[in-house]
Amino acid sequence: METKGRILVVDDEEIVRISCQRILTPMGYAVETTPDGVKALELMGRNKYDLVLTDLKMPHMDGMEVMAEIRKREPEAKVIIITGYSTIEVAVKAIKMGAFNYIEKPFSPDVLITAVKEALGEHA
Amino acid sequence: MVKFRKSIHSLAGKLILTVGTLMTIGSLLLGYFFITYERKIMIKNIQNYGLSSSDLIKRAIHYGMLTGQKEVIQQNIDVISMEKGIDYIRIYNPEGKIVYASNRMEIGKAPYSPSEFRKIIEAREVSGLISSGGDKILRYTVPIYNEPRCFTSQCHYHEKDQQVLGVLESAFATSEVDYILQQNRITTLLLIGLFIFGISVFLCVILYHFVSKPVAFLEAGMKRIAKGDLDSTIDIHTKDEMGLLATTFNSMTKDLKRYRENMENWTRSLEAEVKRKTNEIMRAQEELLNAEKLASLGRMAAGVAHELNSPLTGVVTFAHLLKSRTSLEDKQAQEDLQVIIDQANRCSRIIKGLLGFSRRAGFEMVEINVNDLLDNTISLVRNQARFHNIRFDIRLAPSLPLILADPNQLQQVFLNLVINAADAMNEKGVITIATRVLRTDGELLEIEITDNGPGIPEDMIGRIFEPFFTTKPVGKGTGLGLSVSYGIIKRHGGDIVVKSAPGQGASLFIRIPAQRKKTEEQA
Repeated sequence: METKGRILVVDDEEIVRISCQRILTPMGYAVETTPDGVKALELMGRNKYDLVLTDLKMPHMDGMEVMAEIRKREPEAKVIIITGYSTIEVAVKAIKMGAFNYIEKPFSPDVLITAVKEALGEHA
Repeated sequence: MVKFRKSIHSLAGKLILTVGTLMTIGSLLLGYFFITYERKIMIKNIQNYGLSSSDLIKRAIHYGMLTGQKEVIQQNIDVISMEKGIDYIRIYNPEGKIVYASNRMEIGKAPYSPSEFRKIIEAREVSGLISSGGDKILRYTVPIYNEPRCFTSQCHYHEKDQQVLGVLESAFATSEVDYILQQNRITTLLLIGLFIFGISVFLCVILYHFVSKPVAFLEAGMKRIAKGDLDSTIDIHTKDEMGLLATTFNSMTKDLKRYRENMENWTRSLEAEVKRKTNEIMRAQEELLNAEKLASLGRMAAGVAHELNSPLTGVVTFAHLLKSRTSLEDKQAQEDLQVIIDQANRCSRIIKGLLGFSRRAGFEMVEINVNDLLDNTISLVRNQARFHNIRFDIRLAPSLPLILADPNQLQQVFLNLVINAADAMNEKGVITIATRVLRTDGELLEIEITDNGPGIPEDMIGRIFEPFFTTKPVGKGTGLGLSVSYGIIKRHGGDIVVKSAPGQGASLFIRIPAQRKKTEEQA
């Protein structure tokens, strides 16, 4: 199946995972989800993803650690941080550590789609 | 005894003792010299008297001797010896035998040895004091010389070549003189005693008036001052050292009083200063406590925010999904879904506002018109069930100056206060909302929200801004509304003032400086 890109969503909240899936799938992306960072890295060992959307605060492993690991293993994969606990400092830190972008919860479908398109290099 | 010792150690006592002792010694010496001198004069007088008496006796018996009338001589001696003060008269022949005597029993006796008698004759005139059976007597012996008349007289009793015919001895008692001297001595001593006593009394009186009395005055004054009575003065107006001392003392008292007053003033101002500082510290402590409360509130809000943002993401996402599937012609459905999306986003902003409590960043300061924001707020709540029986009395001042504020935060405050007012009235009554410009120092905008509910009890007015303080039934209020509002207004540089009386409703006045140019992000 031809897809616009393969996306992994990492968030401990099911509603966020479902939301991302319901927004991005109709747009033609292959979306997979996982509730924690450890499992995300397992999945990345098996599959290749173009983009990872990850929450910051999660059990076992937080989003910053997940991102650092992804940057090491798959330098080509883009990472967008999604968080409900936003401060300018956190955003700056995330970008410095290599995040492509930064989205605050709750986000509207348009914000998410725009960010994903930018990350995957699509031009509307 | 103690009193005596005390008075002897006093200034006056010492002076009296010294002067008295000197005077007594001086007087006694003077008296001694006076008495000795007087005695010398008296003895000299007696000697002269004795000599002249001896001469008188010699002349008295002269005739008898010339005529050889022995009986006449004896009679003359008898008469003269009766004179007061004459003890005895004797006439000796050249051999030393008594030939005539005032005491006739002595005639024929020879009381002196021949050698003693020769000495008497050779001395020609002997006088001196001798003792005679206890009494002192003055004895004179006068030789009777041969004269031409003697050997030319009819009796021819004596030869021409006989030089000494006999010796006249007369004795005078000194007891009279001694008595007078004794009397004089007693009188002198009495006078000295009287003099010393008189001088002492005089000295006592003088010293009492000029020393003891002023000293006692000074002492009493000092005691009064020692007890703290600095208004008392010492009334000694003499021109001597005591007067000078009293004047100096009074001026010292005056100085002391001035110093004490200064000290008291200083103490009072110090007390006021301490009180002021204490109040400041208490206020600072209160603010610190408030800040601490707000910080813990912020921590709690941060936790809640994280939990709420995810479900809100679901709400927003699915509202959008539903909206995109709903026919554009079903305008009502489109609008309803948009309300869901807007309100979910507002929830998110409120949460962010709460997060901002614990952080000092994150305000979106824009120029806003408070009246518009209030209108907006009222239209938001007006349709809610709890406001169905509430009438709004809106009195907004026209042409208000714009203020720099975060509209979401400010609306949050208005909502909190309006909902509180409705709850306070049991959702029935009148809420007055008014705006005005207060011109105190710089322009100050005031927003008044008043209810006509039961009012706030006096003891609770100070606590209503405390986090988690609520009078609402359990489960209905979180006790955060007013606290959060207070924090928001404070961060806008404003203040909330509460005025309430039991039974007369409550008024909350939000005061925000108008035309604030600096935003909170810069703070």
